[in-house]
Amino acid sequence: MGKVKIKRKSTLIDMTAMSDVTVLLLTFFMLTSTFLAKEPTVVNTPSSVSEEKVPMYNLVTILVSGKDKPGKEGNPATEGKVFISFCGDQDSTYSSEKVRELVLKEAVGMYNKEHPSNQITLTDQEIKTFTSLNMFGVPFAGLKQYLALDQEKRDKFQGNMADPAVGIPINDNKDYDKGLNDFQIWMKAVYFVSMNLRDEQVGNLGVEKGSEEEKQMQNLYNALKRSGQAIAVKADKNTPYSTVQKVFDNLQTMKLNKFTLMTALKSEEEQSAN
Amino acid sequence: MAQIEQSDNGGKKKKGAQKKIAIHVDFTPMVDMNMLLITFFMLCTTMIKSQTLQLALPSNEKVENQNKNQTKASEAITMILDTEYDAKTGEPMINENGSTKHVIYYYEGKPDSATVKQESFLGNAKGEFQGIRKILSDRNKEVLKKYVVLKQEWRDGKITKEEFDKKSRENASDSTLKRPVVIIKPGPNATYEALINAVDEMQINQISRYNIELPNATDSALIAKFKGEAPAPAPAN
Repeated sequence: MGKVKIKRKSTLIDMTAMSDVTVLLLTFFMLTSTFLAKEPTVVNTPSSVSEEKVPMYNLVTILVSGKDKPGKEGNPATEGKVFISFCGDQDSTYSSEKVRELVLKEAVGMYNKEHPSNQITLTDQEIKTFTSLNMFGVPFAGLKQYLALDQEKRDKFQGNMADPAVGIPINDNKDYDKGLNDFQIWMKAVYFVSMNLRDEQVGNLGVEKGSEEEKQMQNLYNALKRSGQAIAVKADKNTPYSTVQKVFDNLQTMKLNKFTLMTALKSEEEQSAN
Repeated sequence: MAQIEQSDNGGKKKKGAQKKIAIHVDFTPMVDMNMLLITFFMLCTTMIKSQTLQLALPSNEKVENQNKNQTKASEAITMILDTEYDAKTGEPMINENGSTKHVIYYYEGKPDSATVKQESFLGNAKGEFQGIRKILSDRNKEVLKKYVVLKQEWRDGKITKEEFDKKSRENASDSTLKRPVVIIKPGPNATYEALINAVDEMQINQISRYNIELPNATDSALIAKFKGEAPAPAPAN
């Protein structure tokens, strides 16, 4: 009787195929990913049945902070702080950086006109720092100081919602013509910049009014004024309406009375049967 | 796959020929690294984009009193929103289904403490509208009837999504139909979510005419009186 020969099989597993798959997946995720933009505070948006997607470009996001902790434990001072982020066109001359720079210059100019005794001047370096910021929330008076900080300190400073120096002031809402608050100055600057972009483009290049080219050039302006898609207000669902209403009220004063609210999608069962 | 075998010379081994070694490349670390990278990208991406809800408010310019648009009392519904809070923790109360407890006090026509009723956002149950949604849809049934027909046409592929959107918009603002005007008044306790819910109901019920205002003294007095008269509100389920 011959011995039963046990064939020795190598336990090596060929990982080439696996590696192929993972590389493919990796490529997919790398190409599709849009990184979560860092926001100074986390807000839990309410859900709605609206299926409109938030635009990715030409967008001004207004973030209204909620309480740091729910209920009575939360510090009421952390509620209702306003932050703004600007986003320009996708890949044109008017990228986010360019739009931010234009808006900043415009806004600082307006602020200096309103507060002749308290003027601020920014260096080129500070303007450059500002253009790389995603979301910011400091009054004009503290802007220079804020831009001088390095990124880590800036995030830390801005993340402390209880600090009265954080958040763009929205109180003291008056008429359109006189005594704008900081938030209104920013909004007015956005409006002016978008209008200038439109007029400048149309004027300089001799593009015909109403043509397809013209339409592409006034993206921000259109989104802002006509469809109201350029301003998105993001607030926590448990924030009292009266807090959010202050922001609405400011926007109404600025005649930017069409805007969008950021919401999450409501679950399927909620919207069915209609 | 990962090994490279060198060919033999016709199977005949020459003496003194170099030993042929199969070259293996071990891909395991590569896979490990890729998996880590994938995990990183998966966690960092936002696949679900936020939705948006369009809102148009009147501008703050002062309007002369006589020029103000007056709503017909027969068409008006006023909804005063309120959110209930837990007295101990100060957090908004939660329903059994996990949603926040919002209360709506509503009256039709002119403010009158006798006609104030209480409702809540109940959504749908068993394919039927419940709560405030039912009341609003009853008031707007002429529009909704046409809307359902349009929606069926779209589902059957008779009209495109764009046509459907356009037609349903036209339908919602068709002045020949009997349509309500809803005035949403978020009360002092109402959360932002209550407002979004109310605006959502407008969308669901295809109500094109609604306005958001702050409650005035009359409304507050009305609610106070109503609350005093009805100490035990019907439990929402």
